[in-house]
Amino acid sequence: MRTDIVRTYKDIHSWVGIISGLALFIAFYAGAITMFEGPLQRWASPPPSLAAPPSLTDTPSLIAKVLAAHPEAAKGYRVHMRTGPENPARISWTTGNRREPGATYYAALDADGGLQVSMQGPSPVARFIDVLHQQVGLPFSHGVAMSIMGAIALLYAVALVSGVICLLPSLIKDLFALRLGKNLKRMWLDVHNVLGLFSLPFHIVMALTSVVFAFHDQFYDAQDAVAAIGRPAAAHPREAHVAPTSGRILAPAEIARRFEAQMPDFRIQTIEYRTSGPAGTSVRVTGDDPRYGMRGPGFTFAGVDPHSGAIIEDDYLPGRQNGWFATVSSFFALHFGSFGGTPVRWAYFFLGLAGAFLFYSGNLLWIESRRRKERKAGAVEQTRATRVLASLTLGVSLGCVIGISLTIAAAKWLPEAWSDKAAWHGRIYYASFLIAVGWAMLRGAPRASAELLWGAAIATAIIPLTSLAGAMGAPAVWNHADASMLLDLVAMFGAAGMGAMAIAARRRSMSVPRDSAWARAGAVRKNGKGAVARSSAS
Amino acid sequence: MTTSPDILTSSGWFGKSSAGLLLGFTLALGLSSLFALLAGVDDSYLGATGQIAMWLMAPIWSGVLAFCFLFRSGARAWGWLGLANLIAWTGYVVARLIIG
Repeated sequence: MRTDIVRTYKDIHSWVGIISGLALFIAFYAGAITMFEGPLQRWASPPPSLAAPPSLTDTPSLIAKVLAAHPEAAKGYRVHMRTGPENPARISWTTGNRREPGATYYAALDADGGLQVSMQGPSPVARFIDVLHQQVGLPFSHGVAMSIMGAIALLYAVALVSGVICLLPSLIKDLFALRLGKNLKRMWLDVHNVLGLFSLPFHIVMALTSVVFAFHDQFYDAQDAVAAIGRPAAAHPREAHVAPTSGRILAPAEIARRFEAQMPDFRIQTIEYRTSGPAGTSVRVTGDDPRYGMRGPGFTFAGVDPHSGAIIEDDYLPGRQNGWFATVSSFFALHFGSFGGTPVRWAYFFLGLAGAFLFYSGNLLWIESRRRKERKAGAVEQTRATRVLASLTLGVSLGCVIGISLTIAAAKWLPEAWSDKAAWHGRIYYASFLIAVGWAMLRGAPRASAELLWGAAIATAIIPLTSLAGAMGAPAVWNHADASMLLDLVAMFGAAGMGAMAIAARRRSMSVPRDSAWARAGAVRKNGKGAVARSSAS
Repeated sequence: MTTSPDILTSSGWFGKSSAGLLLGFTLALGLSSLFALLAGVDDSYLGATGQIAMWLMAPIWSGVLAFCFLFRSGARAWGWLGLANLIAWTGYVVARLIIG
């Protein structure tokens, strides 16, 4: 490889990395957590206040009462096969339309057979973290945030290619070398390279799918515009056309029975009845089959004839897809980690955390390289730009960790009476995030690194401590005795890891050369010359 | 390019990246439209081939953007990518004339 190409791409890698790194940190950290969106939602959701859901065979009487009292539900309502805190009722319906959903209602029957309707749904915190992930942490409207995310995703693709080009010449030499030791920059670079190269396929998938997720509307519009050139305007038939059948609409239990007869390994999650205009009633079944990749983050779907239960739309149904649709599904499944069941979820969780660390270490490397360049140019102190970037790197990444941990813990503390819980999760996250960034700026990176890591350790420890408080009888704090307690365990390990990093960061800030971005004012070496001599070894 | 004595630097990044961004997009649009035409995408873009055609945009666009820095100058990037666009779009027009 020509050295000028490598040098050019090294410049490009550092600049696209520094522009996109912090947003990508947030996307990856939050994204790693969304791998367990289901368990998190269960952990964070209060015990349902509604009466226990009726059995599937008794559901038609509930549906009849819902439709009598709330005729607007006929537009579309869902029957949930599995209920629990994260799915508090057998029947739910959402007002508004698919683009702009309104409030969701949940219905049950009390002991006397009377209709109960509640707006108390599952905790919105899992959804909040998912949106945070999609919008790389930006609190803007979805449209604005998604175009910025798209730009970040393009930079991320450039960073991947340029990073690989930089690594290629020394690949054999560097790949299996992890030089832990005195030379901290070397160590960070080795870690950065190892993480980047071994998770490269994962990162390529994420970069390309994110570009699509950001720009799919624009891509479709542009392609439609090209295809429409010189052609008479034609109406777009957006929905699949199936000749309507007539007869009795099948009850949920019957739909489930007939569907399972056709797809024995498919586990149904919901059955959705929709009625719109002349098309009449349509039925959509969602569910999962762990043997296949799925179109959605935790489910896929099929269209069912409401009168016969026959599967009439199987484009995304595992095992019944043609090659084209299976290919499309695989793109989504590769992004969502919705294939291979739980082991892949865990793998994606760790790959996501490793990705976050990749961007964090990339920023640290940028700071260290700048220090070297500046020192060659004669500077003894860090320039302001480097100090600001060091503070930003710490503030943004650890602020994201602190904010997410606190807002998750808050799910169990927020009073049930506060109806705008989603807004409170946002306030808690962004307040902690901004305080962390401000703290890093005011205190400077050397002090803030250990302090914010302690903050992250404590904030994360509050998650299991909250559950502990519930177990010890704190009022209004609940625990579900099931696998969602694993979340407390993971948070405990996370908190311990961050505590260990805080101790290491503090030790380091005491022992680095003065011109390092990590040096404390109080840890000055004897003189400037000594610092230079020392740091040239580091 | 490899025979040239010129040394590649990152100084012409703006010309190169703007070519990669704009002409990379139009190149991706031309090639994916050609694919859509050959794969027989109907009006409904809920169809699978239509979705694949849309997905094709991402790797082509990102790929051009990532590798456009290999051009020796911004002007060359615009020239070569312009030529690539011309070929792709000619292919599309010809295919439209034949297939209809």
